[in-house]
Amino acid sequence: MVDDSAQLYTMEGIAAAFVILATVYLVAGTTSIYTPGDSHITDMQLEVLGNDVLLVMDTPTEEAEESNLAHYLGTWNTTDFRSEFGGLLNDTYTGSDTLRFAAFVSYNTTGGTINTTSFGSDGGKTGYEQMVRVTKLVTIPNKPAGAGTPPVDFRNVPQVVMAEVLIWRG
Amino acid sequence: MARLDDEGQWIVMMGFLVAVSIFFLALIINQATLVGQTTAEGVLEFPKSEIRDLQSEVYTIVENGDGDSSALREDIRALELARKNTIVNYSAALETKSGIAYDKTTIHFNNGVTTYDETVYLR
Repeated sequence: MVDDSAQLYTMEGIAAAFVILATVYLVAGTTSIYTPGDSHITDMQLEVLGNDVLLVMDTPTEEAEESNLAHYLGTWNTTDFRSEFGGLLNDTYTGSDTLRFAAFVSYNTTGGTINTTSFGSDGGKTGYEQMVRVTKLVTIPNKPAGAGTPPVDFRNVPQVVMAEVLIWRG
Repeated sequence: MARLDDEGQWIVMMGFLVAVSIFFLALIINQATLVGQTTAEGVLEFPKSEIRDLQSEVYTIVENGDGDSSALREDIRALELARKNTIVNYSAALETKSGIAYDKTTIHFNNGVTTYDETVYLR
């Protein structure tokens, strides 16, 4: 004969099982797994860092003075730009970071189109890097000259150019 | 056969209460990570640096007295459109308030997600 005593215990057990199951499901769902789609979070960190470096370089040390960034662009000094940008980018409390970058300058050409030219980089690219791009507008008084030679289609008038830097973790 | 023992019902009920409250706490923790991430992303996706970059450049140009230079404005507009997919514009007009001449400067910024407009009096 089927024993039908302790039915309440059985129901209790089933109810408890459901509560445990639901809790475990929730707790397991709470853990977030870092997937490639989440890499934009670290990208944003890099963007903030890069924008800060450009902002620091575009801040004159004294009033009515040219900022370092404007000076490097105005004289087309890729060497000094590279060392200052790389230094600020990789500066940490202990040692230095391993961030790499490649800089470009976009300008309005004599033909009225936007052209982008290289402005120095500190490492080769394989094409597989997770890069971010930070930009800064800079006003220069005339065609860059002094330390280097800009492309020939640069206009020789006061103009605004855009410094663009690709940053990635090397 | 053992008789069904109905002692200790209180203990069983309290056990259920605790279980249900843990369930709700888990529900809150479950939402916390999601809410935290979306909020942080929302803040970071706002083009703060882009707007500040445009602002500082326009302020410098206007304060140097070149606010009416169409060449500089066309440079900025073309660069922002070609390289950042952003529509920007600015204007500066002289306006006198309480006997002081200001450059009434307006800045417009639209990158398809965020629209930003400002009017500022510079001198």
